[in-house]
Formats: sequence, structure tokens, C-alpha cells
Amino acid sequence: MDNNATMREILDTFASAANDSLGYARSWKERTGQPVIGSFPMHFPSELAHAAGALPVIIQEADEPITDGEAGVFSFYCGYNRSVVDQAMKGRFDFLDAIMFGDHCVQLLGTADVVRWNVPGLNILFNQLISSMNADWAWDESRGAFAQLRRELDELLGTGVTDDALSTSIALFNRSRAQMRRLYALRKAGRISLSARDMQHVIKSSMVMDRADHTVLLERMLLEAEAEPARAAGMPVYLSGHLCQAPSLELLDMIEECGATVVADDLYHGYRFIASDIAESGDPLDALADWYLRRNRKVPCPTRVDTEVSWDEFLVDAVNASGARGIIVLLAKFCEPHMYHLPEIKEAFDRAGISMLMIETEHDSMPIEAFKTRVETFVEISRRRLAVA
Amino acid sequence: MQAAETATTSARPKTSEGTGTASGKKANRLKATKLGSAIVNDYWADLFSAKEAGKKVVWYNGTYIPPFFQAHDLAWVHGEAWSAYLAARHEEQPAQRAGEDRGYDRELCSYARTHIGQALLDKVELAEGRLDPQSERAIAISKLPAPDMLINAYPYCSSGQQWDETIYRLYGRKIPIFNVSIPLLWGGRKDAGYMRGTEWEERSDYVEKQLRAMAAFLSENTGRPYDWDRLSEVMSYIKRAAILRKEAMDLCSVTPAPASFFDWIVSIAHVNFLPGTQRIVDYFEAVKAEIQQRIADGVGAVPNEKYRLFFDGMMNWNKIGWLADKFAAVDATVVAGRYTHMSFWQEPQLVDLANPVRGMGQNYLICPNNHGAPIMIGEIDRICDQHHIDGMVMHVSRTCRGMTNSQFLITESARKHGRQALFFEGDVADESFYKDELLNTRLEAMIEAMDSKRRMMAA
Repeated sequence: MDNNATMREILDTFASAANDSLGYARSWKERTGQPVIGSFPMHFPSELAHAAGALPVIIQEADEPITDGEAGVFSFYCGYNRSVVDQAMKGRFDFLDAIMFGDHCVQLLGTADVVRWNVPGLNILFNQLISSMNADWAWDESRGAFAQLRRELDELLGTGVTDDALSTSIALFNRSRAQMRRLYALRKAGRISLSARDMQHVIKSSMVMDRADHTVLLERMLLEAEAEPARAAGMPVYLSGHLCQAPSLELLDMIEECGATVVADDLYHGYRFIASDIAESGDPLDALADWYLRRNRKVPCPTRVDTEVSWDEFLVDAVNASGARGIIVLLAKFCEPHMYHLPEIKEAFDRAGISMLMIETEHDSMPIEAFKTRVETFVEISRRRLAVA
Repeated sequence: MQAAETATTSARPKTSEGTGTASGKKANRLKATKLGSAIVNDYWADLFSAKEAGKKVVWYNGTYIPPFFQAHDLAWVHGEAWSAYLAARHEEQPAQRAGEDRGYDRELCSYARTHIGQALLDKVELAEGRLDPQSERAIAISKLPAPDMLINAYPYCSSGQQWDETIYRLYGRKIPIFNVSIPLLWGGRKDAGYMRGTEWEERSDYVEKQLRAMAAFLSENTGRPYDWDRLSEVMSYIKRAAILRKEAMDLCSVTPAPASFFDWIVSIAHVNFLPGTQRIVDYFEAVKAEIQQRIADGVGAVPNEKYRLFFDGMMNWNKIGWLADKFAAVDATVVAGRYTHMSFWQEPQLVDLANPVRGMGQNYLICPNNHGAPIMIGEIDRICDQHHIDGMVMHVSRTCRGMTNSQFLITESARKHGRQALFFEGDVADESFYKDELLNTRLEAMIEAMDSKRRMMAA
């Protein structure tokens, strides 16, 4: 891409990488001759694989229908798990040099085994992070998991992950996250003209692209974005939920076409991914352990247990701080961690007098027209509440 | 997931579905299991009067940690067991409706939905006068003592940890809570194997450390020092009972099998959450003696055994008797299962009574789904070979994904070993997921396939 690329051209580049993440990674590998390491969302720091000289790629839910995967996973698993199994059984991961697994979610643990079984030649780096964040040994365990992962990357790639290399990668990723947070701040302030679709492309592509390339492009895009006039704003809403997988673009478009403007979110393919930085000085493994435990305080994750945080209280505060007049909760069907919290979230928003709409999404069929009616009603009710207030 | 069980008296559904058997043939249940029901009933009676007896109460979920509570003179409520207790008595549906009314999705673990619905929502409704105190729901919940402490110790299952955290929040974040992390034994290192390798040793150290911290947590919240000698004493009964149980299971490799999976199912409570006393040793001695007598007499758990099956998946607690008779009706003995034969102190020799904590932790680590698939399936195949299994019955327990995760891989391996397999849908505590006609059709097809294979081999 030339140095004079426009914001729209840069967004197209981001969209292209986001929509075909494995295609991007395969091309990158062919072009550079360097390894590609996949990882499961949501807690592994890509910095480790980057410091080892690899392209870290967070494995995404694919758009294609689940076919081969039906023989490996039941239909009552979330779309992300079913899609990952499907992609594995179709050979989509064959070019990867390794995948980093080890989350706590019971469905993801099963998926890791199905991938191992069906792609026997694929290297798997399995390191389970502690999910009990208040335990006295949580920090030691976290650091130990990252140290083990570093050893395994060293062993696999033979490149050696030095402290200096890791600190350099951390600094690059911090810069990238800061850029994206800047974009978020501009959106919240109503100073840029980016849709929810655009924002997802920015974040999702950063999970996939060479982070240095992404950073250069985003730097350039920010300059233009800040200079452009802001679009006419609709009813401001906050999006919550959708942990491992990105919400469908059609769904995001529909929400904004109904007169809402997304001003903030806690989506994994959103603010959750960029909220926390890692210390650039000191021992980098210490810094990773600090980051892992601290980020749950910044944006609580329902897959962790932590007596110090409350997701529903966080959301009420975040919605109020964002200026949103309502919250749309996107629940990926069969996502158990999210389902445990839903009643409390609903009650918290009822108490706060803030409109809430829950939309349950599925991989295979999304009744967008039916959702549209509900979103239109939600927007109308929220507007009326605003007028009365 | 290490789930719960009740081994209570109500094995047959109170529905109008009939016996589930067209032939009239029924399972020949071990007589000794009736003795076991009395021990279970006494446990619940003691629990219901725990507060009157001045005991503090721990609510816990996950693996079989009650010896730690018993040694510290506490009463304990296993959330899964409570849900299964209700399910086995067909009293689970109002509790589940209470959970659904609050917004808990029915795709959530039905143990959790039942427990949360019953133990919390009903309790609040009763206290606030919105629940008739004479109703079944009110009577059931009013018996259950409220928690003074919460402990979670789930191998593998993330849902279990989130369930206890939900209870912690619903009780206003006031009850002290402790989490024991029991990480998956992935088995990816070069030296990995069943109970061996660096991962096994590191994880054993980790769990042992946490169990000692858990004992400190109990001390801190009771103001009493922890009695490690008492723990050894409690474990001496449990270890003896576990050895007897395992010996009795091993005897069932003969034809006809003298006891079935369903006999072992109704004997799980005794090695899962009942107190470690001489009574459970006596129980398994009686079970083993009856099995030995049956072998001597040539008596089987199924009157006319022609097929030997393995049951994979969590138990369908409201269908125990129903399923036992269904398989008996087609001359099939379900001889062994993942849930019964690969858990609940299945490696009792690991427990050193002089210093039992590490061996206890190791038994918790090897719960059947806490191994990565290759090692777990290797163990399943070994048990199937030991018991001369012809076919696999895969219970797809809808809301227990910890047990359904590797089921496609298990059947793939079973087929490589020449065994047939069927899947049937159901659930641990939500009867609505069970589809009887699907099981009937698939069972009939599997029997036909096994017959066909035998005819081919004979020809």
C-alpha cells in the first residue's frame, strides 16, 4: 500500500485481513518465510509469539457453514467452537506452525482435543492459565504458564525469545493498543465518522496482521479520521458480550441502520481486546503476569472468577460514562460463561433505569429481519425515555 | 465434570411411560445396594439437622473433597448431589422453572440451574412469603442448611466454577469462598502418560499445595486448628472402601456380568460425598460378597446376557431404573462406564495414609475427563478390553459439555477396536432433553449390527 493511501483504502486493507485471516497469514508466511502461530482467544498475549519471530494470529470464527465439523462437535456448542472444529477438519490450519491453546472454557478444552486428534501434524502449545484470579498463587501460576509457553516457543522455533525481544514486542503492541484506544475515544466523543463495521475491521485485523504494518497504517488513518467531519449521530448505544467471536457485520450494520450509533463496547473484538497494556520495563514475564491479572479489573471477563469485580456494575458504569442511552447485549448461543451473568446484568440495568436489549446470535442462522424489529422498538423506547428525561 | 449422584430409593420415573421394556425382562439389581440407600438417607437426615447440631456448613461443587470437611467436623452440601437428589425424586422441575423465571438459559448446566433455582430463589421466596410453606418445593428447600463457606474444586469443567461464583454473588458476596484449581492434564509433553511424566508431577504438586491452603481456609473460618490425623483416619475407611469397590468391579469381567453399570451408579454417593466410616467399608464388602456369590451361582445382572456394553457420559439421574430395564429387555448388560469406572478414588493406592493429601489430589486430577483425549481414550479402551465390551452407549448429556467433549473421538477409537456405538440424547437433571424413541430405535439398530457381526464371524 502506498504512503498516500486514503482512510477508506486503509480500512479496506483492514477489512480484507479481518475477513480472510488465514488467507492473510498464509500469504504473509509465503512472503516472509517466517512461521505463523495461531492462538485461541481471549487471554494469550500475542507478544510472546511475535517476540519469537512468528506472526501471531488469533483464530477466528469463519463465515462458512459448519459441514465437516458436524462429525467432531455437537450442535449445542457455541458457534466459535463449532467453526474452529470445522476449519480444523477441513484442513484450514495445516499451514500453521503451531497453535497456542489452554483456556479454561470447557467447550474450548474439548475443541483443543478435537483439533489435536484431527490435525495430528500440528504442533500444539498447551498452557492453561489460572482462572481463579484471587488465589494467592494466581500471579506465580500466571508467570509460570507464560514462562512455559516461552520455553515451548523456543524449543519449537529455535529462535530464542530473549527478554529484549519480548520487551520490544510488548512496546509495539502497546503502541498499537494505544492507537486503537485513541480511535475509541474519538468515536465516543463523536469526532469521527466510523461505523461499528469499520471499528470491528480495525480491531479484528490487528489480531491477524503483522502488527508493525497495522500500526503504520492505523497511524496514517488516525490523522485523516481526526480531520474528517463526524457523521450525524443516531441514538447512542453500548454493545456488550460476544466474547470469543466477532459479531456478524450484518448484525452491526442492521443495528446502526435502525437509528442507533454504537459509541462504546466491551466486545472481545472491541474494547476488551485493547483495554490493557503491558509494562515495558522490568522483567517481561513479570509484566505479562501483572497484565493478565490486572486486565480483568479493567474489563471483567465472565470466564474468570474474581471476587473483586462485578461485570454488571462495570457495565452500568461504562454505559453511563460512554453517553450511551441503552445497551444491546449480544449473547453467542451456548456461551455458558455469559449465560450465568445475564440475569444479574438485566437486573442491574432495570435498577439503573437504562434500556437493555438482548440478542442471541447463532453461527448458522441469524434472523436479521426479526432482530431488526426488536432493535427498532428498542431504539424508539430509548429515545422516548431520553425525551421524558 | 465430577458430577453428583444420590443412590436414593426412587429409581423408577413417576411418569406414565410404563416400564420402558416390551419384553418384561428386568435388570437383576444387586440386593446389597438396598443397604447403600440407608447410608445415603442417613447422610441427608444428618445434613438437614446440621445447624441444630451446631455445625458449620460448607457448600461445595466438584471433586470428592468431603474427607477434608469430615475431618474438620463440618457438614457439607454437594450442589450436584442436591440437584441429583431432587431429580431422582422427580422434584427438580419446579426448581428449574424458578431458575428459568429469573432468566437462566436452559442450555446452562442443569445441575446448576436446579441448585441455583432451588437453593436460592426458592429460599428467598419462602422467606418473603411468596412460596406456600406446605408445598413440596418449600419443604425441600427449608431442609437445606445455608452455607457458612463456599468451596469450588472442579477438574476440567469451567461451568462448575462459574456456578459457585454465581452462588457467591447471589448470597451478596458475603460468604467466604475458596477455589481449588485442578488443571487439565493435557498430556502433550514427550514423557506424558497415565499417571506419569513431568506434567503429572507438577500438577500433583500444585493441587497438593492448594488442598493444604483449603484446609487453612477451613481453619480460618472456624477458628479451629486442622486435624490432619483425623483426615488420615477418615481416608483409611475411604481407601479401604475404594479398594473393595475396585476389586468388585474387576470381578465383573466374567460372563454373565454379576453386576452392571447401574449397580455402580447407585453406589457412587458412597465414594463421592458420604462420610468415610466403617459403614461404607461394610457396604462394599457386602457388594463384593454378593458379586462373588453370583459368579459362583452363574447369576448375571441381566437375566439372559447376550451383549456387553460400555456407558459413556454423565448419568441421567431421573432415568436410572428406566434405563437399567431398557437394556435388560434386549439382553444387554451395561458392564462398565466412564463415569463409574474411571473416577471416585479409582487409584486408591496413590493415597498414603500417613500423608494422604498428595494422593488425594492425584485422584482428583485423574477424573475421567480431566485427561487429554488420547490418554483418556486409552484408558476407556483398556477397560472395554478388560470387560469384553461389544458396544458403546454414548449418553449425550445436553448440558454437561465436560462429558460430551470427546465423545466423537471415543466412538472413533471404539470402532477401530471393533465395537459398535450409539448416541442418545438426554441430560443429567433435565428430563426434557431425553428422547425415549430415539434411544429405542438406535438400540435396536445396534443390537442388529452386533448380531450381524457375530453371524459374519461365525460363517
